[in-house]
Amino acid sequence: MSEQVLYAQNSAWSDVIPIPQFDEGAKPVAPILYSEEYRDATDYFRGVVRAGEKSQRVLDLTEHLIRLNPGHYSVWQYRYDTLLAIKADLREELRRMDELATTHMKTYQVWHHRQLLIEQLHEPDSELDFIKTILDIDSKNYHTWGYRQWILAHFNREDLWIAEIRYVEQMLKKDLRNNSAWNHRFFVLWSNGRRESGEIQDEFLRTEIQFVKDNISLAPNNDAAWNYYRGVLQHTNQPFSTQLNFVKLYAEERDSDSDTDSEVVLDLDNPSPGPRAVLPCAIAMEFLAEIYEEKRTPEDIDKAISLYHKLTILDKIRKSYWEWRTAEAKRLLTE
Amino acid sequence: MTVTGQSTVASESGNALYLLFRKSQSSTIMNVNLLSEQRVIEDGYRTETSLEQWLVEDSFLEALPSDPSKISVLKRNEHLNYLAKLLLEGLNKRYAVQDASQPWLTFWILQSFSLLGVLLDPGNKQKVINTILAMQHPDGGFGGGPKQAPHILPTYAAICTLAIVGRPGKGGGWDEINRKGLYNFFLSLKQPDGSFHVMRDGEVDIRGTYCLLAVSTMLNILTPTLVEGVPDFVRSCQTYEGGFSCASYARFMEGQLLSFPRPSLGEAHGGYTSCALASWVFLKPFWEGTSTPSIDVKRTIRWLTKQQGGGANMGGFRGRTNKLVDGCYSWWVGGCFALLPALGIQIDSVPRHIDNADDAAHDNDSEWDDVEEELFNSQALQDYIIYLAQAPSGGLRDKPQKSPDAYHTLYNLAGLSIAQHRVRPVPSERDWIPQPGENLILLKEKRILPILSCKDDALDLDPSETADARDARRKRVFTEVYWWKEQESLSQVKGGSINRVNATHPLFNLTVSHIQPMLSYFYGQP
Ligand SMILES: [Zn+2]
Repeated sequence: MSEQVLYAQNSAWSDVIPIPQFDEGAKPVAPILYSEEYRDATDYFRGVVRAGEKSQRVLDLTEHLIRLNPGHYSVWQYRYDTLLAIKADLREELRRMDELATTHMKTYQVWHHRQLLIEQLHEPDSELDFIKTILDIDSKNYHTWGYRQWILAHFNREDLWIAEIRYVEQMLKKDLRNNSAWNHRFFVLWSNGRRESGEIQDEFLRTEIQFVKDNISLAPNNDAAWNYYRGVLQHTNQPFSTQLNFVKLYAEERDSDSDTDSEVVLDLDNPSPGPRAVLPCAIAMEFLAEIYEEKRTPEDIDKAISLYHKLTILDKIRKSYWEWRTAEAKRLLTE
Repeated sequence: MTVTGQSTVASESGNALYLLFRKSQSSTIMNVNLLSEQRVIEDGYRTETSLEQWLVEDSFLEALPSDPSKISVLKRNEHLNYLAKLLLEGLNKRYAVQDASQPWLTFWILQSFSLLGVLLDPGNKQKVINTILAMQHPDGGFGGGPKQAPHILPTYAAICTLAIVGRPGKGGGWDEINRKGLYNFFLSLKQPDGSFHVMRDGEVDIRGTYCLLAVSTMLNILTPTLVEGVPDFVRSCQTYEGGFSCASYARFMEGQLLSFPRPSLGEAHGGYTSCALASWVFLKPFWEGTSTPSIDVKRTIRWLTKQQGGGANMGGFRGRTNKLVDGCYSWWVGGCFALLPALGIQIDSVPRHIDNADDAAHDNDSEWDDVEEELFNSQALQDYIIYLAQAPSGGLRDKPQKSPDAYHTLYNLAGLSIAQHRVRPVPSERDWIPQPGENLILLKEKRILPILSCKDDALDLDPSETADARDARRKRVFTEVYWWKEQESLSQVKGGSINRVNATHPLFNLTVSHIQPMLSYFYGQP
């Protein structure tokens, strides 16, 4: 329990007329049974809003309320109005928000408030470091990643972009199944809005494809990496068929006859699945089927359909989807 | 209390809820599907993500009953009691963190009632109407509670709630909606890139777009000015995975908006994908005459189907690639499939059976081989909700070991509804009654229509439109969303009719019987 004195009993607030949430006599449904502390603070908040007061004590009151309910957007909005009105030190506000963002990292408003402050301050540098401390705690926090991307896009500074590639590499090293990190990689390298796909250099694309293949070879049944792989190819208009040699390694059953040690031809461009990988990977079979679909001959379509048929069994939860893909593949022949 | 015929729940405050159940029939015992033993494939390379997945699968297998018949039914009465308690007795002080989501709490509870086949008595309906109207801002729009700032999201929840309990006429809620003020509020939030702030100085995200389009459609205030540029915002949220993220970044150069590329901010996510697809359908009436912009629907479908968890995930949906399944995505992701026909995807072309007789691995799970009219496994989704998402003492939840809440109660039930029923657009043969002001007044004199808030209808919300163009546009909007119907022959209620919930309109998450009267009223149609 908080030791805080109620505003109603605090002489420093005696000039404010508290306003109850509902007017006299209202019988609301689904009423929230507020604590005394919360009800009192919101009564006084409504009071200052009605009076239009913007002052230091309003900052105290709104901070108190935010700690009780970080999702109270009207309180945030009024706090921001007040900060600007009294020309408060926004750097100090940002520091104060560090702790709140850590405690309430899943709340939209803590991130949006930071964004408003940073827009005023134009100082993104330390912000990326701060965001990192949050992602260290919750590596998939949606708002945090979105905010990080906003910082990068908004300030659009070469040094920030370059450092970001290293950062996302670290994140993937920690957990190569973290789809937020893959998504961020795509954002930083491909969809940052800075260049059209036509400008992408072959060498850059080649390195990137190699990166994703190496990751797939470590843990082949990882949708995040495959989705990224597909995404890069589609974004750069590369046919899937350019990847046939690699994808085949993952779309087929392990060859149990061959002695793995003696017969493996070391192909660094197309790393093989590790010994404990579970093959075939459903997602590689789909990829392979799409390679066949690209060729569009009746024989290739048959091969695709046969893969989709296998998927109705291997990936049974998506049975009707694979049946639909079969129908779609057949349609390719008539188009 | 038994779940047959008509019965009544008496709440402690003495109010009565009238329960209108379909007559229940003998329930079929469901079998837990045999695939549930299939676990996450770690490829001998464990990371935090795969470990978490493994642990949650453990907890699912533990939560499954050893005697499957024990919880094979929808615990209708437990859920009703849970919801009635929230509505009538109130929410404990932990709900203070949702103090700015009060219309949502009401909507979650009331729409759950609708899906469970329960209507409120007139006295309680009136209380709900009064509660919601207390949250309307004097200048238009609704806040998250009385005397809060107007915000798009609670406005959607408030209007949906009024669709459920409201009516025309004084005190009925519908005529008290300040449509002109609301329209101006919406316009004030609009950005040059076609996005909307959710409130003044608030964040931009696609939930706001969805809520604004849904409300404007319901209230007949969706104008060309309001939707201009919105399609570009929506499609720029589509990520390389096929799903949609929460927003995109609009880049300007010398004050000019660069149309593309606009990077999406955040990763593909079930909730935002739901908002994006429904928004796309709301935008359809505005495509005529202009070149139709596009989203990659096939890539979306691929992403959507990949979110359904097989094996030990019991058919639940996750909200993002490689994340854990969660009951609320039953609606956010599951509900997207019901939008596909309106997006031009014909599912009827799916062959009903593929001959797998030669496949031995296929023998033991006939439960999974039911005729499927959907691109997802609707039978398995029902398993997840019935077996894992129901809390023993009422209410539904994210997953076992989580507590139930109003939000997860609704979105699990709505997901169950989507899995059970097919609500689809059907071509209409009914006439449109032209809507420009004079005709309405004429109709009113003949007492064909209930009194429409006629002052609003004479409103020139969008001066750029002629009266004829306005009427034609309203007709298109109305036709797009009104003529959705449950195709009852295609219902597949797993576990028998005792588990049946009502059908919901995939665009609004309201029952057809609730959304249609509201649309008729605001579009001046009989
Ligand atoms: Zn959830």
